Amino acid sequence: MSHDTLPRPVKTDSAPTVERPARRRRHWARRANPLAGAGTLIWLAVVIIPIYAMFSASLTHQDEALGHSALKPPSHPTLDNYNTVLHNGFGHLLWNTVLAAAGVVLIVLVLCVPLSYVAVRTRSVWSGAAFRLFLLGVAIPAQAVVVPLYLMIAKLNLYDSLLAIVLPTAAFAMPVSVLILTGTLRDISEEMYEAMALDGASTTRMLFQLVIPMSKGGISTVVIYSALQAWNGFLFPLIFTQSDGPRVLTLGLFDYVSEFGVNIPAILASVVLSGVPIFIVYLVARRALVGGLMGVGGK
Amino acid sequence: MSVTQVKGGPRNDAGRPRSARRNRAGRPSAALALPGVLFFAFFAIAPMLLAFYLSFTKWNGLGDPQPAGLANWRKLLGDDRLTQSLTVTVALTVVSWAFQTVISLLLGVWAAGRQRNRAVLSAIFFVPFLLSSTAISLLFYALLDPNFGIIHKDTLGTTSGAFLAIVFVGGWQFIPFHTLIYQGGARQIPEVLYQAAAIDGAGRLRQFFSITLPQLRNTATTSGVLMVVGSLTYFETVLILTQGGPGTDTAILPYLMYEAGFKSYDFGYASAVASFLVLAATALSLLMVKLSGFGAMRSTREGM
Amino acid sequence: MESHSRRWFLGAGTVALASVGGLTACGSGGGSGADGTLTAFVYGDDAAKIQVKSVNRFNASAAAKKAKGTIKLQKVPATDYPAKLRTAMGSPNAPDVFFNWGGGSIKAYREAGQLVDLTDVITSDSVLKSGFLPSVLASGGLDGKNYGVPMRGMQPVILFYNKTVFEENKLQPPTTWDQLLDINTKLKKANITPFALGGADIWPELMWLEYLVDRIGGPQVFDKIKNGDASAWGDPAVLKAAQTVKQLIDDGAFGKGYSSVGYGNGGAPAVFAKGKAAMHLMGSWEYSTQLGKFPDFAKKNLGWCAFPQIEGGAGDIRNVVGNPTNYWSVNARTSNKDAAIAFLRDSASLAYTKELIANGDVPATSNAADLLDASPNPEFAKFQYQMVQQAPAFTLSWDQAVDPNVSTPMLTEVNKLFVGKSSPTQFVSALKELK
Repeated sequence: MSHDTLPRPVKTDSAPTVERPARRRRHWARRANPLAGAGTLIWLAVVIIPIYAMFSASLTHQDEALGHSALKPPSHPTLDNYNTVLHNGFGHLLWNTVLAAAGVVLIVLVLCVPLSYVAVRTRSVWSGAAFRLFLLGVAIPAQAVVVPLYLMIAKLNLYDSLLAIVLPTAAFAMPVSVLILTGTLRDISEEMYEAMALDGASTTRMLFQLVIPMSKGGISTVVIYSALQAWNGFLFPLIFTQSDGPRVLTLGLFDYVSEFGVNIPAILASVVLSGVPIFIVYLVARRALVGGLMGVGGK
Repeated sequence: MSVTQVKGGPRNDAGRPRSARRNRAGRPSAALALPGVLFFAFFAIAPMLLAFYLSFTKWNGLGDPQPAGLANWRKLLGDDRLTQSLTVTVALTVVSWAFQTVISLLLGVWAAGRQRNRAVLSAIFFVPFLLSSTAISLLFYALLDPNFGIIHKDTLGTTSGAFLAIVFVGGWQFIPFHTLIYQGGARQIPEVLYQAAAIDGAGRLRQFFSITLPQLRNTATTSGVLMVVGSLTYFETVLILTQGGPGTDTAILPYLMYEAGFKSYDFGYASAVASFLVLAATALSLLMVKLSGFGAMRSTREGM
Repeated sequence: MESHSRRWFLGAGTVALASVGGLTACGSGGGSGADGTLTAFVYGDDAAKIQVKSVNRFNASAAAKKAKGTIKLQKVPATDYPAKLRTAMGSPNAPDVFFNWGGGSIKAYREAGQLVDLTDVITSDSVLKSGFLPSVLASGGLDGKNYGVPMRGMQPVILFYNKTVFEENKLQPPTTWDQLLDINTKLKKANITPFALGGADIWPELMWLEYLVDRIGGPQVFDKIKNGDASAWGDPAVLKAAQTVKQLIDDGAFGKGYSSVGYGNGGAPAVFAKGKAAMHLMGSWEYSTQLGKFPDFAKKNLGWCAFPQIEGGAGDIRNVVGNPTNYWSVNARTSNKDAAIAFLRDSASLAYTKELIANGDVPATSNAADLLDASPNPEFAKFQYQMVQQAPAFTLSWDQAVDPNVSTPMLTEVNKLFVGKSSPTQFVSALKELK
């Protein structure tokens, strides 16, 4: 690849500027702390009990479930409820959600990386104004614009399509993404840009060979953040889609309520199943996921 | 940062065109930002303006919006439900913030320790965040059912019960995330500070209050901003858990808007509520930008 | 490391790019296609299976070939049917044929010019004209014109009771309000909640007010309201009904946790079937709900009767409230009106009627009376059929009779009354404000 032929002052220069917090052991951390222990046990119960009840109930026969405390284990565990859910188009819902999340991530990255690059590297009035515009967007809840967006989506002939979910979701994921990315980009030192400029690199090449590689942390945070927006999104799918075709997981879960109405175990089974894909991601890439999410908070 | 130094000082740019000399290296053309700005303007800014326009019309979703003058705004400002909704929204935001901050802070500082058991428990504590808000709301809707769930009481039928249920469900989902932020923050507190305090004979509690808490100030701001923004979007929880009930006691602003729009099909009025929400949120974010210093365009590392 | 990160980025991009292809591909769903396929929206509950069969039958029929059109059925999730229909109707992806409740549920569509006036079609078509009970057919219209063709069973609201509980406590189903209050007292002594109520859904609460206002003030009270006279909420019968509800609540007639109990999630039916509550005021679909959930109870111990008379009240005990049935209506913008109308005729067919009956429904077709013996519960089916046929007045459920921008706040006020957030007087004055 062409960039491999380039000299790389990048790496050597980065060493002094990027100071990674060293792994330190706190001297008091080794001492027992009974108060904290008790507190965390209580929180453990708060976290575990609903999860346990969810699993236990999802394994209960439908007719046993009502009038039966969800805390009691089922007398005859069954996988019927999971079967019911899997035969009700769960795979299709999951696929749509994955598509929607990929679409949102793609749009957010393609638009926000160059945008943040410009916001960090130029000091014009306009880029400052644009940056402030995005800052304001951080607090604007997407719900507020669902009515006019519905009108726009209908006029654009996008009603009842996945794009109707993806485009506005991506737009509303942009402010926080820009915030995260500008924070990361700011950490690339001036010397690195200069070194590349000395080699006659264009700004576009700097974007691909310096900015993107150096802001990998920020980018993965943005990927996780925007994918989560798509994964969690409910109102846009609820209003902008209607048929089975573009139905995503969150809306599918909500619709199972009317479909399974009287079958609470099946609803809980669908809740369990909806968590499985991201749980697998969590198991496989826990460090990246957790690190990325910490990035939303700064570092 | 090195920025200021660069601006003034002459650099060695021999062999490069003169026009580039005044610029810092790698200053990209603003055109690169254009697609993003346009996209955001089209799908986020334009709808806000459109909402404002629609708030002056009468529209039931069919045909075209008809001009209605100030009717919707008059109705909005005279509507008792707006006052109630605003109160509930603010109360929900404040109580959620307090609940989530206290627990995330304690858990985050605790989880910052490197012990194995802490790592294992932290991994378990993270699990609720893996479910979507819709899934979590459905789960608690089932668990709070008096005939089926864990608590055999009329939880969602009473005002305080429904309110606290929303606070709890929101916390259950988002505390793992904020714990993570505090964990990250706590790990960056320089160890020297604790060592110095230990030499001075400060106990654990003392260290927590005089070192940990002040050092986490910026983390708390970041996390607080995200919590406040997040609690404006408890819409799913309200829709699934309480439908704004009992009566109208948990109808937060976004739910009020949804109800006016997609239950009564009074999209003009819904747009007035939405515009109000946009104005309130803008004011809130201006305030937060000011308080948190995000506007200073600083590096993430500074002050974290 | 550099090349790794870039490959990672490009890889992600390729996946995402590929997915965008998939995104746009889904953009063309719904709406009438150029190939003559019409879309029909149906309420996506369990009973939609009958409409599925009807569509299949029609698509294979000669009538479909003649009209050069076939129907594609879309089951719209029940929770959100009205909102989904409204948003779809306002978009280019509107259905050609759609399920509705008649009355207020279609008013806005007529005003927007989106409904086909079916009056002439029905009068000139012997199958449609004589196929349905005239009163039920009329309820699918507005101002004397027909906009809908009946397509499901009748849904009167009935007072169901648990026979076992009644026998154990030596009780008879009530015919007067005093008898009902007497039963309540006895049940409470036996530690049994008199009535199951799915208050979390609100509309089961509304049924109480519908019947009480009818029994106290007669059907004309709500008729006025329905026709747009908001001041008619000020009728003394409405206040009396609200006060009666308040007394029932204070008296513990619905137990304690009723506002957290739902109907849709099976809470209220379970409380009733398990004998924790003795009676349940509910639409006739309660029978099929119980049959699905607690079949033994439905077959052996489920009893039913009319809502009792109130002493001194103006309403006849034979008056009924509920939904006459559901209807198919046709979108005026359909690309093939002939095919849509040809499809509606299947709802009057013998095969369709038989399927409804086999499902436990009582069709609103004129030939239904002779076929009811084939019902899973002929006794219940005949009771229902006679109830509707003999009713001097059939009041459409309030929330379906008025426009959604009235019914939504109305339901909120009903809920506030039932959870004690407003007094009967406050309830009435709030309703008078609804326009």
